[in-house]
Amino acid sequence: MMGSTSMALLGPRVWAAPAVHSEKPPILVVLELSGGNDGLNTVVPHGDDNYYRLRPTLGIRPEKLLALDEHFGFNPGLQGIQKLWQDNNLALVHGCGYDDPTFSHFNAMAYWHTGAPHQGNEYGWLGRVADQMVGQRREDMLINIGSSQSLAVKSAVHTPVVFDDPMRFQRKGPASAFTPPAAPTLVTSNRDFLLAIDASAKASSARIRDAWSSYQARADYGVVPMDLPKVAACINAGLPTQLYHVAVRNNAFDTHVQQAALHRRLLSYVSDAVYAFVQDLKAMGEDQRVVIMLHSEFGRRPKENANLGTDHGSANLMLVAGTPIQGGHYGKTPSLEGLGEGDNLSHTTDFRRVYGTLVSDWLGVPAATVLGGDHRSLGFIA
Amino acid sequence: MSSTISRHDSNKTGALPYRTKAIYSFVLLVFLACFGTPLLAKVKDVGPLDLAPLQSTLTSAQAKHLVSRAGFGATQQEIASLVGKTPQQALQQFTAGGDNVPAPAFEHSGIFEPGLDPFPPSRPATTELAKRQGHALGIDVKPDGNRPLQPIVNQFFYWLRASRLETDRVSYWWANRMLTTQQPLREKAALFWHGHFATNEDKVRDYRKMVLQVETFQRLGLANFRDLLIAIAQDPAMLVFLDAGVNTKDAPNENFAREIMELFTMGVGEYGEEDVREAARAFTGWSVRGLEFYVDSDTHDAGEKSFLGERGDFDGIEIIDRILARPQTSRFIATKLYRYFVRDELVPAAEAQLGARLRAHNYDIGAYLQELLVSRDFYASAGEHIKSPVELVISTYKKMGLRQVPGVPDFNVVTGALGQRLLHPPTVAGWSQGRSWITPSLLFERGNFVLDVVSPDLNFVPPDRFPAYTPEVARVQERLRSGLAVSQATKPTGMMGGDMAQANALADRDEAFNTRLGSMRGWQMAIERVRPIPRDFAPMALAKEVQAQALTTPMEVVLYLERRFFEVPLQPRDREEMAAFLAEALGTTDVAAAQSYAEEPLRRLLHAMLSRPEYQLG
Repeated sequence: MMGSTSMALLGPRVWAAPAVHSEKPPILVVLELSGGNDGLNTVVPHGDDNYYRLRPTLGIRPEKLLALDEHFGFNPGLQGIQKLWQDNNLALVHGCGYDDPTFSHFNAMAYWHTGAPHQGNEYGWLGRVADQMVGQRREDMLINIGSSQSLAVKSAVHTPVVFDDPMRFQRKGPASAFTPPAAPTLVTSNRDFLLAIDASAKASSARIRDAWSSYQARADYGVVPMDLPKVAACINAGLPTQLYHVAVRNNAFDTHVQQAALHRRLLSYVSDAVYAFVQDLKAMGEDQRVVIMLHSEFGRRPKENANLGTDHGSANLMLVAGTPIQGGHYGKTPSLEGLGEGDNLSHTTDFRRVYGTLVSDWLGVPAATVLGGDHRSLGFIA
Repeated sequence: MSSTISRHDSNKTGALPYRTKAIYSFVLLVFLACFGTPLLAKVKDVGPLDLAPLQSTLTSAQAKHLVSRAGFGATQQEIASLVGKTPQQALQQFTAGGDNVPAPAFEHSGIFEPGLDPFPPSRPATTELAKRQGHALGIDVKPDGNRPLQPIVNQFFYWLRASRLETDRVSYWWANRMLTTQQPLREKAALFWHGHFATNEDKVRDYRKMVLQVETFQRLGLANFRDLLIAIAQDPAMLVFLDAGVNTKDAPNENFAREIMELFTMGVGEYGEEDVREAARAFTGWSVRGLEFYVDSDTHDAGEKSFLGERGDFDGIEIIDRILARPQTSRFIATKLYRYFVRDELVPAAEAQLGARLRAHNYDIGAYLQELLVSRDFYASAGEHIKSPVELVISTYKKMGLRQVPGVPDFNVVTGALGQRLLHPPTVAGWSQGRSWITPSLLFERGNFVLDVVSPDLNFVPPDRFPAYTPEVARVQERLRSGLAVSQATKPTGMMGGDMAQANALADRDEAFNTRLGSMRGWQMAIERVRPIPRDFAPMALAKEVQAQALTTPMEVVLYLERRFFEVPLQPRDREEMAAFLAEALGTTDVAAAQSYAEEPLRRLLHAMLSRPEYQLG
């Protein structure tokens, strides 16, 4: 492999004092690039001739790339992400995946949501983290911004706060005059489920609305803000939530056809939003306690297809950004020479090592209580 | 050379007049009525579900259950007319009733122009094409002068906006059919198939193809699954949505081949990656020209394939037949239909039982559903189902006795906010059902929907007369009118200092055209040419209805509304609270005496009642 990028695999870290502070607890934001982001055209290995061999038309020429280092370059849509790299606040984790990968969006995403490939767990990995943090039902443990609840936040103990438009998160009119139903202690029927949600909604909605109306973005989030201003609003308002989940809508990264312009545009939206989020947090003095992790359900196949696009692949790049991050490369880049089964990348890093690093080193929860597989720390928390 | 074949023989099936279909259904019902019981009694022995027909005649609660699941609810009078009938008679009357007047077809605004199809995949692709050939989308590049590509960019945005607005009219058309049809099971099944073969106009970018697809669901949704599957595999919207149109033998595209197996027929785990690749080869050359399916023999791979353990020079139809031959396919489809029409939860042994039933009916969807919808198991599932947003909205209108979907609130905005905007499913997997319809925020939205019906919002802005999803262009127009130059007027509002986001900074770099100007012109042209959606409020007369029922006490009113709207009973405590609420709003417990001013309090009561968690169940 190209020696120039000797990976900052620092070996097992000394068990760091977890970054938990009672007053300002650490926050993790997960941003899901749904549809399968093309990692190879996100952080481009321009130093590897195999890349241009596999991507004769989709391969981005070195002169078009944004500078990263002598082996890699950023997709031209990633100006904001490049700045985070230059600020040493971006970890690039290469070759993330798991054994016997699935090429189904929905199964793959479920594996990432549960952190348990091929197992069918009922609860999400963030939901399990919340259950470890607080074993008694509490409001605002998990916030999931989206039109439906992600499996990632499904918890055995807590009801996640799920909303899309903060200003619509309220019961309008006089119905609020009625006594809210008591939340059932045990949810079995759909009726119990609805009563539990009703009770939880009443408790959380006012806080979210207040947070949103007292918030003013102090950075330009660009064309598609990825719901990150809503997260910023919650942090700004001092909500006790430590776990946030947001996602790119509509499987947008599923670029089978005519990928180049579309992919660059999507990446610029993500990059603008993530960079602005970090700037916004800096402006409110909260950037020291927020880490944002970006992932997809899979990468795309190294060899381009004949429709100027790429098909479902396997191992992929993950990005972790924020002031608390020790920037650099982590994990080993998968070889483009001897591709694995189905001409796909063979993974080099169990994706649960990224989860594990965040769970243990950042959130201060022993990773083994939440994750199986290889969840050893990668050491990217500064 | 490419050969064109017509839209397969599914067209012939589709061309069968409804009358034939009705006769067929009737024969089947007679058959079931005469011989069904002994036949179906055996079924009981082969699986955990009690699929034997219900023997008694329907009670009022059972009739309510039938109309809620086999359709979108019904008025009190319709329900009363089903009471005392056998399950078979009631199903027949409710789902195949009416005088067979064809449901109204969609009325096009007339926005399509030659040159718009094929529509390039993006704005950059359009301008590149125009630079190369001197024209695009039926518009020539200006020979000289400022922004020579501007008219083409305008046309690009015109069609994006117009197709989307017209698609909102298609949703209204379909919603009105759901509300007024005499054959509600047909529309209910069409809605199921829309979620199953989920296709989103955002990617298709052609409302005409969406109309065709909905019509296919309406026509074949209760027919044989094979006919439906083939029609969808050759459906222009689906071909565009899953990139099948660019699937060629030199470059097989796996998107369609994967989803047809994973989502449309078998589910994951029933095939290997090799099968995906080989099936993709068999579907090569399946393409669409305008609104016509055709097979391009030049790009079809006629070579030998190995699929699910068999070898042969299979084409797409032969792949589909091999998929249908798999027991897993009948299991997958039968189970999904059961979850939609009967209940979410079922044990694995029940899946096998249901799959066997669908196979016994040779994939006849209508016959399979008939069996389910008269069964004891079906009638034991009352009140367990969480209504989907479209079910909630249409059934609420139905129970209110409306004859037309109101224009305020906007049907598409409401169902979108509730998580089920028609013709815009979130992914190719469609909508998840059951509990995933509900989040804390969405539960509130359900109550807010009722408020917007009983007390229409005076701030309502018709989303088909305003650049609703890019309001920025209205500000661009304002700045142009104030005399600013285009380059100044089209700068993003706000955020002038600091780091401007890359996407904003880049938007207007190309001087051959201005994107924001194009977006603005596109909106103007689209709004001008797409017919407006009528914006009537829902006509309601609760006070008169309460008077006609001769209700005297607030509790009687609460019980009446509960009977009319709810499938699941309220708690006695809640009833009392609501009766007290009404008494206070009326200023008396004498309902008759308050008749002259009771409308507003009654609407507030209805809003409060329909905001209850119980109202979400049916």
